[in-house]
Amino acid sequence: MRGHPRLTKGPWRRTLASIGLAGLLLGTAACGGGDDSGGDSSAPEVGSDDISEQGDPVEGGSITVGLEAETNSWLPGTGSFSNPGTTVAYALYDPLMKQTADGEVRPYLAESMEPNEDFTTWTLTLRPDVQFHDGTPLNGDALKSNFDDHLKAPGSNVANSLADVASLDVVDDLTVEYKLSAPNAAFPSVLTDSPGWPFSPTAAAAAGEDAGANPVGTGPFRFVSWQRDSNLVLEKNENYWQEGLPYLDGITFRPIPDEDTRLASLQSGDIDVMQTLRQGTVARAREADGVDNYEYLGNNSGGSIINTTVPPFDDLRVRQALAYAIDQPALIDVIGGTGLTPEATQYFSPDSPFYSEEAAEAFPTFDTERAQEFYDDYVNDPQRSDGQPVGTDLSFTYNCPPDPSLNELSQLYQSYWSALGMQVELNTVEQAAHIQNGIAKDYEVQCWRVGEEGDPYNTLKDAFTPGPLNFTGYSSPAIDEGLETLRTTADLEARKAAVADISMDISENVPNLFTGYTLTDVAVRDAVKNVDGWEFPDGTAGDGVPGATTMWGFVWVTD
Amino acid sequence: MYVLRRLPSLIATLLAVSILTFLMTSLLPGDPALQILGAENATPEAIAAVRSELSLDDPLPVRYLHWIGDALTGDFGRSYRTNEPVSQAIIERLPVTAEIGLLAIVIALAIAIPVGMLSAYRAGTRTDKVISSTSFGLLAVPNFMVAILLILVFAVWLGVLPATGWVNFTDNPVQNLRSALLPALSLAIAEMAVYTRLLRTDMIATLQQDFVTMARVKGVSNRRILFRHALRPSSFSLLTVAGVQVGAIIGGSVVIETLFAVPGVGRLLLEAVLVRDLLMVQGVALVIAVSYVVVNFTVDILYSYLDPRISHGRSSARV
Repeated sequence: MRGHPRLTKGPWRRTLASIGLAGLLLGTAACGGGDDSGGDSSAPEVGSDDISEQGDPVEGGSITVGLEAETNSWLPGTGSFSNPGTTVAYALYDPLMKQTADGEVRPYLAESMEPNEDFTTWTLTLRPDVQFHDGTPLNGDALKSNFDDHLKAPGSNVANSLADVASLDVVDDLTVEYKLSAPNAAFPSVLTDSPGWPFSPTAAAAAGEDAGANPVGTGPFRFVSWQRDSNLVLEKNENYWQEGLPYLDGITFRPIPDEDTRLASLQSGDIDVMQTLRQGTVARAREADGVDNYEYLGNNSGGSIINTTVPPFDDLRVRQALAYAIDQPALIDVIGGTGLTPEATQYFSPDSPFYSEEAAEAFPTFDTERAQEFYDDYVNDPQRSDGQPVGTDLSFTYNCPPDPSLNELSQLYQSYWSALGMQVELNTVEQAAHIQNGIAKDYEVQCWRVGEEGDPYNTLKDAFTPGPLNFTGYSSPAIDEGLETLRTTADLEARKAAVADISMDISENVPNLFTGYTLTDVAVRDAVKNVDGWEFPDGTAGDGVPGATTMWGFVWVTD
Repeated sequence: MYVLRRLPSLIATLLAVSILTFLMTSLLPGDPALQILGAENATPEAIAAVRSELSLDDPLPVRYLHWIGDALTGDFGRSYRTNEPVSQAIIERLPVTAEIGLLAIVIALAIAIPVGMLSAYRAGTRTDKVISSTSFGLLAVPNFMVAILLILVFAVWLGVLPATGWVNFTDNPVQNLRSALLPALSLAIAEMAVYTRLLRTDMIATLQQDFVTMARVKGVSNRRILFRHALRPSSFSLLTVAGVQVGAIIGGSVVIETLFAVPGVGRLLLEAVLVRDLLMVQGVALVIAVSYVVVNFTVDILYSYLDPRISHGRSSARV
């Protein structure tokens, strides 16, 4: 896949991209302007940037990568691997499973992964002769030690992902069984993240308390040194299990938290690659000379959550009034996403196989008259759920963390809702307290991000069944039914239909609002090649650069 | 001896600082246990387990005494978030902040002293006015703006200095200086303006004194009058403020170290606050407070060097 995948117009672009035409095609569309495939011509064009010629692989050379943030620990179970941590992990570790370009989860480091009939036991077979960087063999015992001593240890931060896994049993040297307490057809997706990144049990035991600062995996690069908040230095793994990989001799990762100075560092040549999740930075990186942008429109979306457990938000009419009152393109513009990201209507982006056209059409779009109708209907209802006298306007607080663009977003929300007659107080809540308020449902309406990559079952189960991650407090029989299907069948069409039903229920009951999907970007000096072109060992095309994470073993540099 | 006489108040100050730091961090909303576990794993049982492991449920005075007792022996505990010893994190990062801060003060003084003297010597002339308005202008520009501009000019356009990053002195002294230069300059600009204004005012007063007139009458050169006779008696306010401004430099380092992606204590503190890494916040804040108090204590002692008439031991006069 070259020139790739910010494909917002449908599957046909994905197909073209995969045979190398996207750059050409998008370039033509941008010049011609008369491309009639996009429907409404007044809508801002959401396109992608051209990418330079890739050429043949080159061995050698080193690169420096600017990350959004530092990671607390490199040890699965204690490390909080958000986007910057995950991209580093793809250099140090190999995921047992990974997603293909078509959204299927397949074995990567693992050789095979097979369920029993009712999806309660998953049998994973490892490849022979794979070693960790310290020479320890990757075998069933290593996986078991990872599982028992770290991933399932008290205080592990992957406890929730592995909640349904009762045990990991070693069958023979290269085979293990994950025994689940309940059927889960989506279980392999869990092993794409940190629960599925094997690390050397001998090295972890030897390092003890400092294991998080001395990572030893099977990945294409091995650990050399780490100065927190400054740089993590890795060198080529000469003993890598994939013949011919990696191309680079070394990678240095540098956390540069500020968006402006990270981009300036790329322009000045201090770094060769940078990642960003900010729409404004993506727009500026596209304008920079000599920079290739590997973009990815993920499922993650900004927006707001509504606490459906407290009046008046337990009443659908109030939630609909909130949703119909807002003009999403204007909100997207405030965060600098115009021309980069389309309107969001569900937990899955138009690039996802689980995107539903019906749910997209059903989700409320800007219509002040309808908003007013719903609002007036509730306010004048003698049976209104908040027990206030008929005609009393709603008054509530909107919470958001301190951030200039979120601040602007909040003000825009406030103006839309005030227009209906609501009294909206804006409240700034620092991030740590903000999350806690969400978990405790100690809020009315607040800024929140929803949606993630990976299997829809895991995302939707957390968000819409009782538990700490059901921040809106919303659940329904329709969603439960859809989740049951997702849990018990591997058939893609059946699963797509189940997700569509769930998305439809969400569109109709609006427990949350959206402000566009997040376009992520790996911006590179154009001498850095093949950033999103990774493949499975059998040659199947991979999922590119989801969330600005890169499979570093496949990257090369031409100077 | 003066130092000994000041010691009790010094200790009282540090004690108050440690209590305040502890209280402020402990009373912040946002549960550290939640930060450690991550939202998705935050079941009530898991939260309770982590809180009890970290003794977060003990009464505040008990927690304080436990913490300060260990801190006095140099044990600040381990970070909740990274599990690295707090003292080790501070030892690794303090030199970075100290180097940038010192370099900022040296740059600021190196420019402010000649410019401030020139301004005083030419008081009321066009030179003086240009210098004055420039200093006011620089004072008004926030340091993060200065930083972005400096990066744009020296890194992106001219390509002579790195935009971000840090090289340890022990790895490469030259590269170390190059990586420290722009952060230090960003901090120095505002300081420079303050110093220039102060020195100008004091020096104008000094230049009107009898001993200066006397020196002029004796035919001493202007340069010699300015540097040998007038500078020392004119630098009291400068020194006092330079000491107090160390606080501003430490505060500024939080912003500057983040912008330049430099691994100093300012950035350590900021990130620790954001994730409620309480032991780290308390340890860093205490060390910063101690450094601040020590610097100003040193300034007090320097007074007697600047003006031998001040003898702290005998007179009760305070400057």
